[in-house]
Amino acid sequence: MASTFKNLGLFNSGPHRFALKPQGLSVIPAWHLNPGAPGTAILGPLELAVVVTGRLVAASEAALWTLRDAITAQLTNPPQVGTLIDHHGRQWTNMSFILFAEDDRTDRARAVSIAYTATFLRFLNP
Amino acid sequence: MLLLNPTSVSFDAAAWPDATAIAIDRKAQRSVIHWTDFGPYAVFADVPEQAVAITITRQVLRDDLAAPVPGQSGILEFFTSPTASDAARKRLTAVAVVAAVTHDLSRTKGALRTITLIAISPDGAADPITIEDADSAPAP
Repeated sequence: MASTFKNLGLFNSGPHRFALKPQGLSVIPAWHLNPGAPGTAILGPLELAVVVTGRLVAASEAALWTLRDAITAQLTNPPQVGTLIDHHGRQWTNMSFILFAEDDRTDRARAVSIAYTATFLRFLNP
Repeated sequence: MLLLNPTSVSFDAAAWPDATAIAIDRKAQRSVIHWTDFGPYAVFADVPEQAVAITITRQVLRDDLAAPVPGQSGILEFFTSPTASDAARKRLTAVAVVAAVTHDLSRTKGALRTITLIAISPDGAADPITIEDADSAPAP
């Protein structure tokens, strides 16, 4: 099935994969908060982050820009939360689209394409 | 592309006589290939960066102090036909840069010079090798 974010198939022009960033607790050495204190301090749970890596594929330069613009239009400030759904129907609710990083070059060959990394975050304190 | 009957080979306006064969090799300098979360097989592949190499083999019959040097740039031109006749004769041209010049010496084959050139596209999008009918091309 096609993936979606806020019911938009932003990444379906080309291949893409989903991955989760590390989950668990955010900790720092205690002396960062209290000089001389031993041990480790717990800051709280890590925020859930989902990373989509893939490639936008289009038939022309203009068509690729249309795809890129549709994605960056979702990078709002403040972020608007939505549900992210992967290829297999796994859903992550209340996700914010926070980062879209393109590869260092647009590839122009049989297809016009560019690789990217898109990061979604579930803010603990939205 | 392998051309066994090249004639009138010239580079940077200098004649390269006694060419015995010319090979034009194309390879992916960088390829992109992608898999998805669906399974083990690639679903997308493309070759956005290619290298076109031209290898010319010449019989060297006498001393030659004017061999091309790596980095030298010029227009490579030669003619070829399937049967070494004037039938279906083609003219091939390319702007090229010399990448290597090597020699092979043997009692049986004599002296062979192999020149490898990198073909350069005029704009990055057009094929660096131009092929046209020799009839419509300027006479060598």
